[in-house]
Amino acid sequence: MIDDRLRTLRRLRYANAFGFILAVAALSPMAVRGQYLHPKVIAKQTTIRKIVILPAKVNVVRDSMKGPEGMAEESEALSVRVEKMLAEVLAAQKSVMTLSESTTTQADSQQKYMIADIQAKFDGLLPKVMKKRKDVKQGRFSMGDEVLNLNLDKSADAIVFIRGEGKKLTGGKTAFTMLVGGMPAYLKLMIGIVDARTGELLLYTDPILAGDPTTAVNRLREALEKGFKKLPAVS
Amino acid sequence: MKAEGNPVAIAPGTDLMALDYNVVLNEILVMRAGQATTGPIRAHMKTFSKRNLLVATLCLCVGFGPLMPPAIAQKKKVAPVEATPPPVNEEFQFGKIDLELLEQVNLVDRRFEREGIVLEDEATNAYLERIGKVLIPKGLKLEHVTWRFRAARDPQPNAFALPNGSIYVTTGLLALLDNESQLAAILAHELTHVMRRHTYLQNRSNRKKFLTANIIAAVGAYTPGGVAGAMITIVTTVAPFLVLATMFGYSRELEREADLKGIDMMISAEYPPEEMVRALQLLTNDIEGEQIKLFYNDHPELQERIKYLGSYLGARADKVTPEMELHREKNAYLQKAEPVMRHDIQLAINATRFRSAVFLALKLVYFHPDSSENVFWLAESYRLLGPRSQQLTEKELTNSAKKDAARKREKRTVEEEERELLATPAGQENAKAHQQKADELYRRALSLDNPTPLAHRGLGMLYEKLGRKLDALTEYHKYIELAPVAIDRERIQKRIEALTKE
Repeated sequence: MIDDRLRTLRRLRYANAFGFILAVAALSPMAVRGQYLHPKVIAKQTTIRKIVILPAKVNVVRDSMKGPEGMAEESEALSVRVEKMLAEVLAAQKSVMTLSESTTTQADSQQKYMIADIQAKFDGLLPKVMKKRKDVKQGRFSMGDEVLNLNLDKSADAIVFIRGEGKKLTGGKTAFTMLVGGMPAYLKLMIGIVDARTGELLLYTDPILAGDPTTAVNRLREALEKGFKKLPAVS
Repeated sequence: MKAEGNPVAIAPGTDLMALDYNVVLNEILVMRAGQATTGPIRAHMKTFSKRNLLVATLCLCVGFGPLMPPAIAQKKKVAPVEATPPPVNEEFQFGKIDLELLEQVNLVDRRFEREGIVLEDEATNAYLERIGKVLIPKGLKLEHVTWRFRAARDPQPNAFALPNGSIYVTTGLLALLDNESQLAAILAHELTHVMRRHTYLQNRSNRKKFLTANIIAAVGAYTPGGVAGAMITIVTTVAPFLVLATMFGYSRELEREADLKGIDMMISAEYPPEEMVRALQLLTNDIEGEQIKLFYNDHPELQERIKYLGSYLGARADKVTPEMELHREKNAYLQKAEPVMRHDIQLAINATRFRSAVFLALKLVYFHPDSSENVFWLAESYRLLGPRSQQLTEKELTNSAKKDAARKREKRTVEEEERELLATPAGQENAKAHQQKADELYRRALSLDNPTPLAHRGLGMLYEKLGRKLDALTEYHKYIELAPVAIDRERIQKRIEALTKE
């Protein structure tokens, strides 16, 4: 009787360890999900020369045995790092501008609200995109011509929206996850490139990296470089 | 001044018995609606059918209650007053965890400002601050608390307090309320959460629950076979959900404490306390069909809160002062809230909450019918409501229907939803009726004093959708001419270019 229970226990431990290895493998740095392009981009009807990057919103939490704890400061720093890194990667193929460089109007509260509202609009669209990523290829998603209210530089072709989420595990929680199973530490980004004139979603990609999000970001560059290879370069 | 039509309304100079009468009447209305009551006349109502004499007495009380002299009436208190704790939690000591949380919320505050969540309207924020400061007990000083009262740009009716003393009321809630006392009720409730250190207490409790959840998960992972194992497996599957479910908001006890303490603070600041009940009643109006009941939720439901607050108020039976009546003035409040309401209608439209937009715009037009801007917002709301019905039907407001609608909202885009509705006769009828209303209202907005150029933009968009290209072009040109520095000038220019090309 006792032997049976011990055997069951051992079997469960093996199953958990196997599950954990699978999860890590699935979240390995090279596990960049597919990039989904709008048919207009594939057909080269839309050419992206100049890109404006909106402020990234990356939120990470520290998961301990006593539940998740906020990492507000780290999240802010990570948002800036991701934004800069993406700008560097895209700069290899396109002309890249930050929002402050590209707006023609002063940053008053009206403009601040407008940016907040456009960002909120992307947040509203994102769950629908994530549910059916493949539909980007059919040109199903659009934010409408309201994006023109951002009053960006007239030569801007596309706007980049960056969202991210991640989880850092404490030592105790890491050990617990290894023994019992559960989601390991990770960083997931959701990046959308939107037509600056029509609001159509031109590209969507969501790379995932395993490990502490604050350090995993160092491996992000490679993933992003690989990720944006599909985006037609401008000669 | 006149008390607004409501079952718990108290007329000026009403005596204490009259308050009992109002509570009684309110409960009768609740019972008529087929809901259970926990109020002071519950005991009488239980034996209703058995004792006719009691029926007669009750009828006499209800009928003649307001006519009784105050001296007699004062003796008729229905229940002992529930004792509420002191305003400040003196026993509370800051620990490492609490200070870490404080650091996090300070950063959250800054992020709200930076990301355009805070409404940068000095008049509105000063108004909130004035009411908030009146409610705070005089001379009260709290460690690690700096009071700040601000409006948050969010069309969902809500309010929340951060433990550092930052209190946010959403534009959605400001637009929904009817008077200053209701706003005071919301602020008093949130102030109690800060003064009694509820966020820290809840955080500590959550951390314990998470630890429990983890332990349960560990036990579940190594479950032995047999009956005992099956039981633990079930607990493991269900328990973390139950443990987590109690983490939505504050616990029932803390919410109740904030409600009752809030009533005390309102009375001290001469705000009519029953307005808290009315504020909650306004929140029960499920315009968008989004109040979905979960399997288990520890947050006391609005109806339950309305009931216990009714009982508490009945037991306290406080006098209504002339100052309290002043604070009930609807027009004075709406005058202050008018710009925020307009801002909120735009936010509601952005968030595809079209029914809320129509509801609020109607309120605005009813309050100030000669305002071109108010009429414009009503026209805009109707135009964007399109093929949707203005109000949800009873069938659509059932819990299962709301869950279905929420699932659909997650999948469908607004354009897809409209296309689906336009394929139905009801949708076509709605679209036609709303377009007609919008057209009339835009024209009315332009015929009033100081006409807003936005009405030309609205007409342009309406005509473009209807395929009246030339009319649309005319209206767009008028808009650009009258509002040359509008933030959406570029957008309209592009539309003109596209229409001209066609």
